[in-house]
Amino acid sequence: MLHAYAQAFALVFDPYVLTVILCSALFGLFVGCIPGLTATMATALLVPITFFMPPVPAVAAIVTATAMAIFSGDIPGALLRIPGTPASAAYTDEAYAMTKKGQAEIALGAGLVFSAIGGLFGTAVMMTSAPALAEIALQFSDFEYFWMVVLGLAGAVFIGNSSVLKASISLLLGLLVACIGLDNPAGHPRFTFGNAELTGGVSLIPMMVGMFAVSEILRYMVHMEPPLKLATEHIGNVFKGMWRLLKKYPWPLVRGSVLGTIIGIQPGSGADMAAWMSYAMAKKFSKEPEKFGTGHVEGIVEAGAANNSALAGAWIPALVFGIPGDSITAIAIGVLYLKGMNPGPTLFINNPQNIYAIFLVFVLANLIMLPLGWLTIKLAKNVLRLSRDILMPTILLFCIVGSFAINNTVFGVALILVFGLLAFVLEENGFPVAPAILGVVLGQMMEENFIKSMIKSDGDPSLFFTRPIAMGLAISTFIILLWPVFGWAWRKLRTA
Amino acid sequence: MKTIFKVAALIAALVAGSAQAQYPNRPVQLIVPWGAGGGTDATARIIGALLEKELKQPFNVVNRTGGSGVVGHDAIARAPADGYTLGLITVEIAMMHHVGLTALKPTDYTPIGLMNADPSGINVRTDAPYKSVKDLLTAIKANPGKFKASGTGQGGIWHLAIAGLLKDQGIDPGALPWVPSQGAAPGLQDLVSGGVEVVPCSIPEARAMIDAGKVRPLAIMDANPPALYPKLPTLKAELGTDWQIAAWRVIAAPKGIPADVQKTLGAALKKVYDSSEYKEFMAKQGYGTVWADSDGAAKFMAAADANLGAALKAVGLAK
Amino acid sequence: MKLNDALLGLVFLALSIAVLVTIQGYPKIPGQSIGPGAFPGLIALLLGGCSLALIWRGWQERRAQPLVALGAWLASPRHLLNFCLTVVLLLFYVLASETIGFLICGTIILLVLFFSLRVKPSLAIVLALFVPLVIHLIFYKLLRVPLPWGVLPVLW
Repeated sequence: MLHAYAQAFALVFDPYVLTVILCSALFGLFVGCIPGLTATMATALLVPITFFMPPVPAVAAIVTATAMAIFSGDIPGALLRIPGTPASAAYTDEAYAMTKKGQAEIALGAGLVFSAIGGLFGTAVMMTSAPALAEIALQFSDFEYFWMVVLGLAGAVFIGNSSVLKASISLLLGLLVACIGLDNPAGHPRFTFGNAELTGGVSLIPMMVGMFAVSEILRYMVHMEPPLKLATEHIGNVFKGMWRLLKKYPWPLVRGSVLGTIIGIQPGSGADMAAWMSYAMAKKFSKEPEKFGTGHVEGIVEAGAANNSALAGAWIPALVFGIPGDSITAIAIGVLYLKGMNPGPTLFINNPQNIYAIFLVFVLANLIMLPLGWLTIKLAKNVLRLSRDILMPTILLFCIVGSFAINNTVFGVALILVFGLLAFVLEENGFPVAPAILGVVLGQMMEENFIKSMIKSDGDPSLFFTRPIAMGLAISTFIILLWPVFGWAWRKLRTA
Repeated sequence: MKTIFKVAALIAALVAGSAQAQYPNRPVQLIVPWGAGGGTDATARIIGALLEKELKQPFNVVNRTGGSGVVGHDAIARAPADGYTLGLITVEIAMMHHVGLTALKPTDYTPIGLMNADPSGINVRTDAPYKSVKDLLTAIKANPGKFKASGTGQGGIWHLAIAGLLKDQGIDPGALPWVPSQGAAPGLQDLVSGGVEVVPCSIPEARAMIDAGKVRPLAIMDANPPALYPKLPTLKAELGTDWQIAAWRVIAAPKGIPADVQKTLGAALKKVYDSSEYKEFMAKQGYGTVWADSDGAAKFMAAADANLGAALKAVGLAK
Repeated sequence: MKLNDALLGLVFLALSIAVLVTIQGYPKIPGQSIGPGAFPGLIALLLGGCSLALIWRGWQERRAQPLVALGAWLASPRHLLNFCLTVVLLLFYVLASETIGFLICGTIILLVLFFSLRVKPSLAIVLALFVPLVIHLIFYKLLRVPLPWGVLPVLW
């Protein structure tokens, strides 16, 4: 084993491989920053280039670019309230609130440092126990997935600071949007009005760009007050105070990393879901939940760690069984085959130096994220110095291109307009938009897993409660949902 | 000012010059109706890269996903018929119109060449008691509704593959309820976790699980055993039936492209198909390769359209 | 633009009723005990319930909360114009980009918005010409996004 690691070191610390890692890191940082361009897209674009590379640099390029993209999605989110990737959308409001308080460097620093730690955690799990964990993940069935999705939705309603009723309505609107199109278990076109584009449904990315970015631009167009004076000169050392945060929030960090890895391992759910669920969990377990949404770093610590650890987690079933944990690994599996590194248990036995080299690349990618991320933040903060009159129209143009690029059709641009206007009206009236996004992320999974479960059990719903893991998840869901009621009853009993 | 004129004249000359040049004189789009990362996407990307080498213009792969392929197939059919937008159309084009999901038929395209076909296999868990397709079918017949199958969406190609086989063997397709999934990978995972008992899907899709010892293929719905597992029996050998079904991919253009453009593309595509790069790529991924030129592909698709339509009706999936 | 909760509740209620009416026409799928209408139906019912609660809350607060409170920007022609221009320009892109191309569309969008936001004219013109070129170059060449050329010849 030591010998194999020595070989792996030689494979990775090769000038060519290191150059590839550096270039793909810069590429990932750039793609992640732009609203509408996702980590998945960064991977898809790298595929033709990796055709011409040996196995290790080919995989290294994908691993590095995606880790960077997921982190750098935080940057426009914190500075402009426009998340770069869906995985950052969960805590965009929080990070932006911190920027308005002049704490942009803490928000971004926490995103950077805890992303790296979360990524390293996921990597450590992968290095030590990938085959065993992949076996466990295979035992999960639709019954369990169904409860996990419900758990995620239950958390969403309590994410923000707004009224639970309005958050619920926003979530339900998102779930309704998820119903549009042909991609449902019945294969029946719903709410498409005979339009071919609508049979494809509403993609998450244009919806997110519309609800966050375009609505923000519309709000800027009508704002009457003098422009916000942002305390940009304060963005000094982004690493300052991180040690203090680490000591203050060890549990959120561990929880986020563990939850992120677990969600990553589950096929079909990736960094987006990990970020949302762990943000909700951070609030649930926090000693100061009332501070959430007002610019409180705790949720960023947990969710930032979660989305990067999910990236590593998703590789576990991909390497062991060729089953993708998320859309990124779905592409990566193709590359593995192409390079003769066929996924499967044998990958760990024959030629283990290749798989160890992949592990090392993960470690390396999460480590160079620190200096490169620091540099990117330094550059990006200059954006705040630009006049918003110039910035906002330019961002609008980026939004147009980004939403076009998702499916290469102007239908995406039409969607950002519709959802931009919708979010503008909703926010003016105190409805949070984040739950609507989550509704679209999870709606399809929820319906699919429910219907699949019902077919498998011949219409008998009791299996949702009798399978052991399903029962455990069901109980947690009900506890989360009914927690406020318990608290209320407890206070009543004590005062009575 | 003089320099500006010179530059403008230069640009104008370039533009005029390139306008008269032979096809292709600008980048070509290759639309894929399925997402990045899937088999269709990978096939399109290698074909695109090789066509680029052949015709000296970029061939950009563009994913138009959603609606179980409706969105992408629609985009290919409606693109301008100038040879600058091509697409990789898939077996679904010969199925969807029978079910009433779209009006598009294979005849709405100009096929350039048939590039690949992956026949369906039948997979069970490694520890399943059935040793052959016959055992499996007997068990299904004896316990109608007890076993479930998965591997694609409701009414998808693999659903039709197994339902058609049941019908062919005189078993009611309803005896094996279908659990819709987002593709073969989640279906296989379900198979291993014990949620379903049968996954009909192509061999390359199941390959990692077969090699990991989790999944066992029982037979292949093709005339010959697959190259990856030459010992896998065919349905003909096992049951004596002629039931065969495969997912195939055809490079096509919108209807009515100029004849000379079609000729250029056809010749280039044939070269791509014959290249060692294409063969090697497809063999590595485990994909089957088949070639038919424009006329051949049109005939192939017409036959497939009739067969699939009849099968969809027989098993009750078509309206 | 702040609407009374009751008014918004009515809108959502209408939406949920529309969904419930639409799903009545959905077919049953053989082999699936739950049809394609069940899930949207359930959501619509929940949404309907929430809408009623919202209407009730809005009605109770009808004194404190006027039916429609127009934002101050609606009274200011300049801000109203900015808002409408953004919407119109997005529509313009959807309708015109295939025909006249990304570069021209992008330049028009930036130019109009810069002028409307009163950016210094010289700066506005330079940026409106320069920014779309850079975006196009990055997306078209590096990211291989097929942004339409439109009436312009293919330059790269």
